[in-house]
Amino acid sequence: MNKTPRLAVVATASTLALALTLTACGRSDEGGGTTGTDAGSAVSEGPATGTVEIWAMGVEGERLPELAEQFEADNPDVTVEVTPVPWESSVEKITTAIATGEVPDVVQVGTTLMSGFVELGGLAPTPENIDSGAFFPGAWETTEVDGTSYAVPWYVETRVLYYRTDLAEKAGVEEPKAWDDLKTFAAGMQDAGADYGIALQTRGDSTNLMYFPFYWQAGGEIMNDEGTEFTLANDAQVKALDFYSSFMAEGLAPQVLVEDEKLQNFINGELGSYVSGPWDRANLLATAGDDFADKFDVTPLPADERSASFIGGSNLAVLADAENPEAAWKFIQFATDPATQVDWFEISSALPAVQASWDDPLLADDPSLEVYGPALETAKSTPAIPTWAEIGHEFDLVLEQVISGDLSPEDASQQMQDAATSIGTGLR
Amino acid sequence: MTVSVESDAATGRGPATRQGRGPAGTRRRRRGLAAWGFALPFTVLFAVFMLVPVVSSLYMAFTDMRGADLKTPFAVNFVGLDNFAAALTDPKFLQAAGNTLYFVGVAMPLTLAIALLLATLLNSGLTWFRSVFRVGFYAPVVTSIVAVAVVWRFLLQPDFGLVNSALGVLGIDGPRWLTDPAWAMPSLIVMATWRNVGYSMVILLAGLQGIPRDLYEASSLDGAGAVRTFRSITVPLLRPTLLFCAVITGIGYLQFFEEPFVMTQGGPLGATNSVAYEIFNQFGFGNYGLSAAMSYVLFVAIVILSFLQFRLLRPKS
Repeated sequence: MNKTPRLAVVATASTLALALTLTACGRSDEGGGTTGTDAGSAVSEGPATGTVEIWAMGVEGERLPELAEQFEADNPDVTVEVTPVPWESSVEKITTAIATGEVPDVVQVGTTLMSGFVELGGLAPTPENIDSGAFFPGAWETTEVDGTSYAVPWYVETRVLYYRTDLAEKAGVEEPKAWDDLKTFAAGMQDAGADYGIALQTRGDSTNLMYFPFYWQAGGEIMNDEGTEFTLANDAQVKALDFYSSFMAEGLAPQVLVEDEKLQNFINGELGSYVSGPWDRANLLATAGDDFADKFDVTPLPADERSASFIGGSNLAVLADAENPEAAWKFIQFATDPATQVDWFEISSALPAVQASWDDPLLADDPSLEVYGPALETAKSTPAIPTWAEIGHEFDLVLEQVISGDLSPEDASQQMQDAATSIGTGLR
Repeated sequence: MTVSVESDAATGRGPATRQGRGPAGTRRRRRGLAAWGFALPFTVLFAVFMLVPVVSSLYMAFTDMRGADLKTPFAVNFVGLDNFAAALTDPKFLQAAGNTLYFVGVAMPLTLAIALLLATLLNSGLTWFRSVFRVGFYAPVVTSIVAVAVVWRFLLQPDFGLVNSALGVLGIDGPRWLTDPAWAMPSLIVMATWRNVGYSMVILLAGLQGIPRDLYEASSLDGAGAVRTFRSITVPLLRPTLLFCAVITGIGYLQFFEEPFVMTQGGPLGATNSVAYEIFNQFGFGNYGLSAAMSYVLFVAIVILSFLQFRLLRPKS
């Protein structure tokens, strides 16, 4: 066998080829990702033309064609193509599209996923004539990465307290307004027969999303105003960690919460209350039957120094490599028009991100929605930085240790600050 | 093999056919091309789906590449061994490495011992139901981990799960299997053993059936008991099969990922976080350089373990 020489030739050749490509290596000084702080040019007047390709996730992807028909009716020369993308593979698909340049014109982006795509240089800056003031401030903030907006809020959701009205009545407790009330409230639920007064996430992915509203309520902020430094080691953090973990320590909440059992326990009356978003109403009624609507209600999370909750939802963004950006922005303008937002609520029951839409009777007169409007005004989001997933994961681990009693709130607050600082913002 | 030998001869290595002059040379060259044609599908597939990923992951391991560099993968800086240093000093990675060693150290001997026991039982008695048992023990191997996870979560549920209910009958207050830091890993070890024992069992059973009957007859004539026969006949003759099972199980177990991913998400308090899971997480966070370096650390561990197994279990001649 005289294979070796040939192998050696191949190996040398490929090494050479690699070395040649690698000589072009090294980061350039400007950095590849973000494009500074300039806003995009204005959206022009007149009807949209051409084809607009939109990627939307989950239910939105299924229902969006209905809304697109209206847009096509207003703009006869435009064709809208909607591609539904499953949420689970959305990050992968969009990342691949951006990396290869084979992109749609408009994409739906979950509020916490913005920074990753911006870091890749995949999204175009928002045109200056889109009015940021029309939206809930917390929602608009999710579109901004490093001071520049790259999307427009489409729909929102926020977390509130679901509770059993029958148990609350039996215990004679009112909807909690302040932190102390929440303790009394949970204890009352337990006296009225529930195994646990409240359920709070204790471990696993996104525990921090359940926890941070309490930190915000205590007056804390995750980052400074400029978004350059983390501000996590402080008294508000210690206070909030102490408050959050005290529910588990005092037996008012499960020491280890099994998420899958939460809904059923609530329906059985074994759980008095829990924190969740607007979608859980439909889940509860689907599992327990429509009669169950009389047995529960929702109320805003209690306030401490101030009221605050977590704001989520989705934004609409135009890709940097979009073939038809003009029509794409026109579609977004249309989708975020107050009247369209109400139509979209009717189609998909997604809550409007535009504040003016909430004055429409359809929303204003719906008793199951009255809690969300005010809650959205003070709701906040986690920082839009590319490293947030990693930082959030660290926080999940720290929170688990505080809840299990392995870490004091004081040490935990310092550990959160150190972890976040060592990972950094990922912005260049 | 024939193809590569053929191609070596046919592409004109021999002095007589150099440069393929004359009709014989042309024919040989054509045969050489045909040989390469046959080899091409494999070569291309191997190059695209094996060589390129391996080379690029090695490249990543020595650079500071992040998720954001996907568009310009060559515009990154070389950082030498920094990623390896970062991995080996990261407390989370070290905890994951400890957990993985714990898992492999307990689950691998356990799996092989149970597989050998089952195979021996099936080989000696129970001949009537052999295929029924073989299917029964092999079924977990081919069942989707997601379905398995749902059932096991029910079994291990602390309040009404089958395991704790059974223990309750005996008057034992069972622990919270998946959420107690001390019990989570043992629970996953039992689950992984249950899932994988069927594979080794089937292989070992085949090995046992390959041992000539007359050796057993001879040993029983010599007055050897069951234990002596097992130690002096079965185990030595089964060495190659055992080695195969140990290597395959060891490689699979060092890449311990699915069980913690579906059952515990690496918790509680990181007690079931494995090296493969940590690599998966770091890739998810966009730390491509770091996670590629971690992958190579795992690769080296697999090589070392396999080497040790070959040394320990190689047939004595």
